[in-house]
Amino acid sequence: MNSRPQIQPQPTACQDDPLAGLCEILRVTRPDADLELIRRAYDVAASWHEGQTRRSGDPYITHPLAVATILAETGADDQTLCAAILHDTIDDTPCTLAALSGDFGAEVAALVVGTTELDQVKGSRGSSLSQVLGTVRSADTRVLAIKVADRLHNMRTVEFIAHAKQLRKARESLDIFAPVASQLSMDTIGAELEMLAYATMKRNRHARSLPGRLLIAMTALLPEAARTRWCEEWLGELHTLPARRDRASFAIHTILGIPRLAYTVRNPAPGRRRAG
Amino acid sequence: MKYAVKMTGSVQQVLRAMLEDAAVPRYGLQISKQADLEPGTLYPVMARLEGVGWVESSWENPELSIKDGRPRRRYYLLTKDGAEQARLALAEISARQEKRRSSLSIAQPGPLGASL
Repeated sequence: MNSRPQIQPQPTACQDDPLAGLCEILRVTRPDADLELIRRAYDVAASWHEGQTRRSGDPYITHPLAVATILAETGADDQTLCAAILHDTIDDTPCTLAALSGDFGAEVAALVVGTTELDQVKGSRGSSLSQVLGTVRSADTRVLAIKVADRLHNMRTVEFIAHAKQLRKARESLDIFAPVASQLSMDTIGAELEMLAYATMKRNRHARSLPGRLLIAMTALLPEAARTRWCEEWLGELHTLPARRDRASFAIHTILGIPRLAYTVRNPAPGRRRAG
Repeated sequence: MKYAVKMTGSVQQVLRAMLEDAAVPRYGLQISKQADLEPGTLYPVMARLEGVGWVESSWENPELSIKDGRPRRRYYLLTKDGAEQARLALAEISARQEKRRSSLSIAQPGPLGASL
């Protein structure tokens, strides 16, 4: 059923060890890797991210671990791998730069800070590819490698986020991350990023059609918390209709029902009598 | 008996359609076709049924939609309690209609009755 090649764990690797996959790759790409240091980074990151989950429901730590695993395949050094595992601790947890620096040294801490800062450059309005690359040329290329791997794992799990964000991430992956990947000679990663980005855009193509855009615009009438769900549900329905005419009719009829839907969503169970 | 949902015509149509095979999850457009309702009528009904716990909805497994290259679908399923309540409510409504029909035919005897 699943045609993706699965990495078979070696019989010697402990099944319960979350780092088993990473260690196995390192055995091939970096036999001299400091596994003890990497394991310590994992333990620290896991304790900071304790209780946090991803959209998919997986524990948050699975993400930085996956990023490190992607980088391990490229033969990244120990500092990069540690920084990858710790890359969200400063932004998303109470962990401080000083704490990281104390635990793992200034080099790892600087890499983590670098990835965090890069987010701010990219996040600022109107930043273009050349601006990002400009700030980046001066930066440590290992910071870029972490960001590229971070994006690759996010694109692999993009299905769990709202479709509008999926499209934005796909666009960015094509415009910024894939070119950066090729500059860093991370060609396999760049190619996978492009493939995932195109697949995401194709999957969400109805979001850009007129009926899709109308439906998305009209969800503004719904309470904010309900918008994403209905938006996505309707785009899924649009996709099941092969004829353009049917899609237009679906959009019009659905839009006519939105005021009533908004009322229902705001009052989910009017006058419902509590049992007992 | 009073139910958690006002048993409007569209609610009845949706419940009848879903009860036909209560164990099969369906997405909105499938229910819309089976219940013969426009989507604009259907979604508020689904939101209402979900709000009172008669129906549950969930996203399909994203692996399937990725494989098919389409957005994931939202699937609806009657809850156990919902299916039970829906059967009761629909049975009560048909019984009431049956009773009304038979009482009407007694109150207004046809031409045969009048001639007697």
